[in-house]
Amino acid sequence: MIEISGLTKRYGDHVVLNNVSEHIRPGEKVAVIGPSGSGKSTLLRCLNLLETPDGGKITFDGTEITDPRCDVNEVRRHMGMVFQHFNLFNNLTILRNITLAPVKLKIKSEEDAKKDALALLARIGLSDKADTYPAMLSGGQKQRVAIVRALAMNPKVMLFDEPTSALDPEMVGEVLDLIREVAREGMTMVIVTHEMGFAREVASRVVFVDEGNIKETGSPRDVFDSPQDARLREFLSKVI
Amino acid sequence: MEQFFDRLSEKLYQSVIYDNRWKMYLEGLSLTLQIAVVAVIIGVVLGIAVAMVKTSAQGSKNPILRFFNVICTAYTTVIRGTPQMIQLLILYGISAIPNGVIACFIGFGINSGAYVSETFRSGIQSVDGGQMEAARSLGLTRWQAMTSVVLPQAVKNVLPAIFNEFIMLIKDTSIAGYIAVNDLTKNTNSIRGRTYDSTSLFIAAGIYLILTYILTQILKRLERRFRKSDRN
Ligand SMILES: Nc1ncnc2c1ncn2[C@@H]1O[C@H](COP(=O)(O)OP(=O)(O)OP(=O)(O)O)[C@@H](O)[C@H]1O
Ligand SMILES: [Mg+2]
Repeated sequence: MIEISGLTKRYGDHVVLNNVSEHIRPGEKVAVIGPSGSGKSTLLRCLNLLETPDGGKITFDGTEITDPRCDVNEVRRHMGMVFQHFNLFNNLTILRNITLAPVKLKIKSEEDAKKDALALLARIGLSDKADTYPAMLSGGQKQRVAIVRALAMNPKVMLFDEPTSALDPEMVGEVLDLIREVAREGMTMVIVTHEMGFAREVASRVVFVDEGNIKETGSPRDVFDSPQDARLREFLSKVI
Repeated sequence: MEQFFDRLSEKLYQSVIYDNRWKMYLEGLSLTLQIAVVAVIIGVVLGIAVAMVKTSAQGSKNPILRFFNVICTAYTTVIRGTPQMIQLLILYGISAIPNGVIACFIGFGINSGAYVSETFRSGIQSVDGGQMEAARSLGLTRWQAMTSVVLPQAVKNVLPAIFNEFIMLIKDTSIAGYIAVNDLTKNTNSIRGRTYDSTSLFIAAGIYLILTYILTQILKRLERRFRKSDRN
């Protein structure tokens, strides 16, 4: 579904991603782990071109999205993204947060978008919040709305960048539950996370990123129980 | 003492009542307010446009955007680097502009736009970058993200500053008389010329002062309410 080859990204002289290649297949749930500053977010953000790669090729669903002629906005419609800091639109109600993109992009009519949004809100138990503003919600509620906002576009892939890192501990569970549910429905997902337990449980594959490179990848069991790479072993000994 | 009050009431009579001169203050005030309102509207429109170009052009390689950015920079540089009086006189001299009032609308509007563009720019920059990113990640264009997500938040943030700009404009427009516009200052000065007495100037000063004072109080209330709504 997503084919990455030779992906390179620099900020000035600082090489953040160095010749990364990876293939993400339909239905896979890929957990991306690695130390802080290793390039996990940058890798994720290159996938939907929030960062422009300096080199290499990314193909999504048969289209080369790194081609300068590629319509970036069209590509992004099919890739949902969930951010660490939720990024709900502060000036819009919860309902409008969810319907904005489908309506603006003429994917759904105003009514259909509203109907779908209300169904999504009912699913996460926040129907009563439809007409309130993001500022009135708790962190966990915000992140769950952010997830269904992305789902409202019916994406083919969901990208999560540390979706629970900014949450109070007691709210982590509700967000992970929702992600787990989305995973169970067969969504292709790439999740950058520090929640090793969650990665082990939900991921079909774990990718270890270090110093701008994928140093090891494999099933959660292989990566967590019999890590090969020395840096991975060191990393795991620190976080588990 | 009695003599003093007699002289004062005579002066007031001459400056206000005689020949219906009080009407001149009101007519002048009306024009002053019209110019300030129209100018602030033109200024806001121009200011938002310039701010959007400048923030979008930042780090962009799009040649069209870069071109507009150069124009916007030239605009703000020239307007801010030259006296407003001269700008007004130049506009007044353009034959396509029918009269001084229109010249004032345009002149004060263009001038105000150059200054408030900076206000809007910092307003746009004060909106968390995550807002734009989230909108773009859903497939919205930069323009759509700007107009439906970023700009509404930026405008809300700078509304008090724009209201303040309006208050400033009420005073700044007092040079309109130089191009034959009968605003409050110009009319007051005409009365002074006829009465050979400066009482009318104090009256006009009082009108400006009361007006700006009231508006400033309204502004303060506005700001307080905004701060409250931001908290929850
Ligand atoms: N816009 C930027 N400009 C310059 N350097 C950047 C920028 N964004 C990221 N970097 C640098 O790139 C490197 C990788 O950043 P990235 O955010 O991808 O790391 P990460 O693995 O997601 O880390 P974390 O776990 O802390 O989120 C870091 O050294 C960071 O300082
Ligand atoms: Mg990160």
